[in-house]
Amino acid sequence: MDTFFLVIGMGLCILVLLVLYRVVYGPGVFNRVAALSAIGNKTLIILLIMGFVYHRVEMFIDISMVYALLNFIGTIAASKYLEMEGSIL
Amino acid sequence: MSITTILAVLFMVGGLFFFTTATIGLLRFPDFFTRLHATGKGDTLAVLLFLVGFCFYEGFTLTGLKIVFIAVFMFLAQPTATHALSRAGLRCGVKPWMKKEDKK
Amino acid sequence: MIQISDDIIIKTLARVLVPFIQLYALYVIMHGHHSPGGGFQGGVILGASLVLLVITHGLKGTQKRISEKSVAIFSSLGVLIYAGIGVLCLVLLGNFLDYSKLAILLSVPLAQARSLGILGVEIGVGLAVMAVMFSIFYNIATGGKQSEEDNN
Repeated sequence: MDTFFLVIGMGLCILVLLVLYRVVYGPGVFNRVAALSAIGNKTLIILLIMGFVYHRVEMFIDISMVYALLNFIGTIAASKYLEMEGSIL
Repeated sequence: MSITTILAVLFMVGGLFFFTTATIGLLRFPDFFTRLHATGKGDTLAVLLFLVGFCFYEGFTLTGLKIVFIAVFMFLAQPTATHALSRAGLRCGVKPWMKKEDKK
Repeated sequence: MIQISDDIIIKTLARVLVPFIQLYALYVIMHGHHSPGGGFQGGVILGASLVLLVITHGLKGTQKRISEKSVAIFSSLGVLIYAGIGVLCLVLLGNFLDYSKLAILLSVPLAQARSLGILGVEIGVGLAVMAVMFSIFYNIATGGKQSEEDNN
């Protein structure tokens, strides 16, 4: 079971590296924000898988919940900043 | 290998498949709005499948209940973020990709 | 032009989610000794919930719910709790922040008095961090002008 979790984790890391191409080369800023949101989703699952590999899931669940919250707030703040051209209120 | 472990493995493999197709869509689609379709829908479904698989693996404990809370939050929050991003894209004048007309 | 604070989907979802985010922040503060968390992390999550409210509802909508004056009172209250527990331990003939002397006041065993002292200090820290984060965001976003004008 540990081997299975490690294989899934490595597959997800390879997917993160593929999405980084869109962060670097995306024409315009909107593509980059969407790709960053995708990276945040994958990071959430990688954190939980690391918790399962080390057999201490209770520590990693709180961290992943906080990361989901901050990813959501960050995406909404970025989209509002881009829409209103400079201000955020 | 009990039945819950086999179910958890099935859900996780399904989640990995949807992550892969969402990433391929993000890389190969021609326009911003189509890429947002791919990552907004595919990533949300994949995260939900993964979390259900983790919940089956853990069993009916406090940890499993917390994983259900994360799943409910992702189900509510991720489509809202996609909606906010697409509204911003439309207001700022990102042109959608149109099929090229054949000039006769 | 229609601004994002007129969008009903995002407004409704922010209104539904903010109480649960604050409840989770209180959980993080309380369980600092047992799992990752503590005063500073919980205070940051509380501040982030207030920032979400400002982003989706605009500044006037947020000031109806939590005014600038009450944020200033919260920051002072947090420091008062922290220093107050320390001075209370001084008054009871101990060192500064020597929680074992609180066992005389609360009539609980010695180890539990230390645990309760740390919990009180974490609550004070959480309140102060929340208030300072919100006022920093408020001052930077309005450019010191205390209003919603665009600072181009």
